[in-house]
Amino acid sequence: MAGALATTELNRRAAAQPATTGNLFLLLVGLGTALLLFTAFLSAVKTGPLFTEDNLLYAALIFYAAAAALYIGYGVTTGLRLARFATLATALGLIANTLAAGHRWYAAGHPPFSSIYEMLLSFVWTLAALTLFVERRYGVRIIGSVTLPLAMLGVILMQLLPSPVRPLVPALQSTWLHVHVTLAMLAYAACTVSVALALLFLIQDKVRTETFLAATSATLVAIYASISTRFDASGALRVVAWDPGEGREIFIAEKTPLFVMIPGLGWLMFLVLAAALVPLALCVWAQWNREERGLVWANRAFFLGTLLQGLALGAFVMRARQGFYASRQADGVFLTNLAASPFVLSGLAGGLLISLLYLLLFWRREQLEGLLPAAERLDHLTYKTIGIAFPLLTLMIAAGAYWANRTWGSYWSWDPKETWALITWMIYAGYLHMRITRGWRGRRAAYFAILGFAVVMFTFFGVTYLLPGLHAYA
Amino acid sequence: MDLKVPRTGTWVGSLMTLHLKGWSQQIQRTFSSLRTGIVLLITLGVVSAAGTFVLQRPLTEAEKLERAYAPETLRWLDRLSLTDVFHSWWFALLLAALGLNIILASLERFPVAWAYVQRRYARPDAHFLKGLTLQREIQIPDKETGLAAAERAFRQLRFKPQRVASQNGMSLFAERNRFVRLAAYLVHASLLLIFAGAIADALLGYRGYVALTPNRQTNQIELSNGKTRTLPFVVRCDDAGQENYADGSPRRWWSKLVVLDSGREVLRKEIAVNDPLVFRGVRFYQSGYGSSGDLGALRLRVVPKANPADTREIVLHPDETLALDAENSVRVAAFFPDFVIRDKQVETRSDQPNNPAIQLTVDSKKSGATKVWLFANFPEVNHADESPYRFQLRDLQMGWFTGLQVSHEPGQWAVWIGVVLMIVGLAAAFYFIHARVWAVPISDDRGRLVLWVGASASKNREEFEERFNKLVAEILDGLKAPYGSRGTVSRTSGSHHFLVNAAAALKGRS
Repeated sequence: MAGALATTELNRRAAAQPATTGNLFLLLVGLGTALLLFTAFLSAVKTGPLFTEDNLLYAALIFYAAAAALYIGYGVTTGLRLARFATLATALGLIANTLAAGHRWYAAGHPPFSSIYEMLLSFVWTLAALTLFVERRYGVRIIGSVTLPLAMLGVILMQLLPSPVRPLVPALQSTWLHVHVTLAMLAYAACTVSVALALLFLIQDKVRTETFLAATSATLVAIYASISTRFDASGALRVVAWDPGEGREIFIAEKTPLFVMIPGLGWLMFLVLAAALVPLALCVWAQWNREERGLVWANRAFFLGTLLQGLALGAFVMRARQGFYASRQADGVFLTNLAASPFVLSGLAGGLLISLLYLLLFWRREQLEGLLPAAERLDHLTYKTIGIAFPLLTLMIAAGAYWANRTWGSYWSWDPKETWALITWMIYAGYLHMRITRGWRGRRAAYFAILGFAVVMFTFFGVTYLLPGLHAYA
Repeated sequence: MDLKVPRTGTWVGSLMTLHLKGWSQQIQRTFSSLRTGIVLLITLGVVSAAGTFVLQRPLTEAEKLERAYAPETLRWLDRLSLTDVFHSWWFALLLAALGLNIILASLERFPVAWAYVQRRYARPDAHFLKGLTLQREIQIPDKETGLAAAERAFRQLRFKPQRVASQNGMSLFAERNRFVRLAAYLVHASLLLIFAGAIADALLGYRGYVALTPNRQTNQIELSNGKTRTLPFVVRCDDAGQENYADGSPRRWWSKLVVLDSGREVLRKEIAVNDPLVFRGVRFYQSGYGSSGDLGALRLRVVPKANPADTREIVLHPDETLALDAENSVRVAAFFPDFVIRDKQVETRSDQPNNPAIQLTVDSKKSGATKVWLFANFPEVNHADESPYRFQLRDLQMGWFTGLQVSHEPGQWAVWIGVVLMIVGLAAAFYFIHARVWAVPISDDRGRLVLWVGASASKNREEFEERFNKLVAEILDGLKAPYGSRGTVSRTSGSHHFLVNAAAALKGRS
């Protein structure tokens, strides 16, 4: 009884105190959103019809960005009003997103699931919808501060990717493919929500902040090590060349793209990799020697590393956006643009995002803990979302197998994507067995959920980005 | 929290003890344990991942492998079957071990679950009653009034009440979704069914390729391992084609296929990508369409040198001799789709009609045979000095072939049935709750007549607790009457044990 009283007291105090800063922040975000919408409206009216796919998507981006800012603001100030407006912005973004998807469906004549662009469109949609669902049904408001920035990132990526409504090659003209991709996006979005909940559980379960620091740094090391596989001996970064006429990457042989070199960027990526290694090493050292100062320096190094990441992302966007660079595989210079490097771009932006989320945790951990539901509830919710994700994963694999069988006469051929989807499935199957039969709860289950999500990410990005690279001997 | 069901002992277990000694039981226990299952899952995951990192044999050509790995490395990779993980004996062994693990574990646990499903606890004993977390006592005037009110409340919450008679009198019981208790077994059985289908396909099935040109027929297919297989029937292609989008990219490939069984036509179908032809379990999939590198047909303008006014057009196919007049005839002698002269030899660079060259032979009864060269890209070149006719190429059609994937997978139905059952099982396991409710008139500690209401749910207990409270409220509503109730239905959040506390508090008050 006393505990409950103390908690409500704490909540009340937390809600009352930062109301003024919260209102100012709300005002700023609201004004910013209105301004962006107004200017976008003006330019849209000038150029032609208002409700085009691009305009709708831009509106969705503005709303999602506002929602992400408000959710994070809610995390910082704990003002409940911010959360309410964040929900509103998410709902508006979702409406614009739905209209954009519907518009594209209508224009293309097939459901929007056939290119990376269209898949992102449905992924973002599912993510926003699930966020609203979890918030409404289970009252976990803060989850938006993880998922909405991701959704925003997805829409930004979409703005950069080429989006012509392209005719479908014969093998892709199948309802089963649409079913397969839809299920994949639903399952992956559910996995994303489950990992967000698992992370929130770990916060609420009093996992130490330096553990989060080490984990974030390790993830950053993985991201930048992957990007550094495209390091060229001259210090350049190799990116795929782009054929603007065809609107796709240039290939010199099957599965062998033509790489161009952006000078200097390779070194920059190496530098960020080193910068991510420093806090990790300091964490390990501090843990080993029980030295508090090590952690202080680790956090300082991490902050600097985050600034460097921002620099790397900026430099990459500036130089890879549009430009002609030399190649080692052929004479002359070739064009590249951001559309040719969706994976590098997602890696850079995703890395920056998780760094910022860590910094939010570092600065505002106590407030965050006040906002979150009890640890047991988050643990239970993680399990429930995996209970949604696992049947979806099963259906997704089955639909893919059925499509492959109708197209190539074989339901399973052990290609890397299939194999990794199966590995994902096996990990979640292991999670469910440990949980249901062995009664695993709490941290071990949360770590398992994170492992599952890491493999999902590898299946989604790594298999396409790293494995062919491993096999390219041009 | 679940009920303790007396272990009946597994029949497999008792069978084993009849014949074998302790160590075999130990082996069985090891093989059926969840730990073994998880270890096998992890091992399968790791070797599968290895199979995606190392280049795999059937998919990559030998040359590429030799370029990618040093000879010594490659020898070791081959020796360990790491270049063909998914078809290696040890991968099959791992899958078999996982299958065995699932079978043994299910056999060991299934009788318990079955006993649970069989014994419905329609009339719970006192011991069982005490164990339930969700229970409440409601004071009632007499048994029948209480049971009737409970019956109405059960129906209100969409439970179908059954009256159960026993030596202690009448009581109520209702349950929903009992099958949920067996859902996990359905999922595992379906996995075994998928395994069985995949094994059947690996042993009895085959995959191959056949390319057909117009009006050709064959019963030979080229298997993926390089061997040839003879089908018990013949397939012929009557026509095939490609339809394009406005931008020239292919939209649709199709082939008109005919199946002939001992010379008789038995099946005819136009197949397309995603729409195969199936005959006796053998499937033909449209997988490609293209130029065969052979000549399809020529349209020629024929100008007699003696009488240019008598110019006409002819269509000439390969393997065809056309009479031009009483004395002369023409036929195709040679065709080069991508003509090039290399080392003074005439040859073709590719199968693509990049630089088509045709050599015609004009047979004359008087002067014998003359050769004429025609070049599609260079119409002005025309070496026909000795021939009585001049030829101009008007149109050239390439011959085409249609590429068909052939596959025979006798086990695939087991796979699809397994998939459907697995989805059903997973849906049952995750989205349905086995819920049971009881209402038993008993006398409480003080000897007063009360209706004891209890419930249990297989999962989602917190949410089920709300439903249970609603049920109790409904019963109280139904009773309303002079006697009223003992407890007010208030939701004390969170705690599972609030009922116990509430009961204690109530006792203290009254």
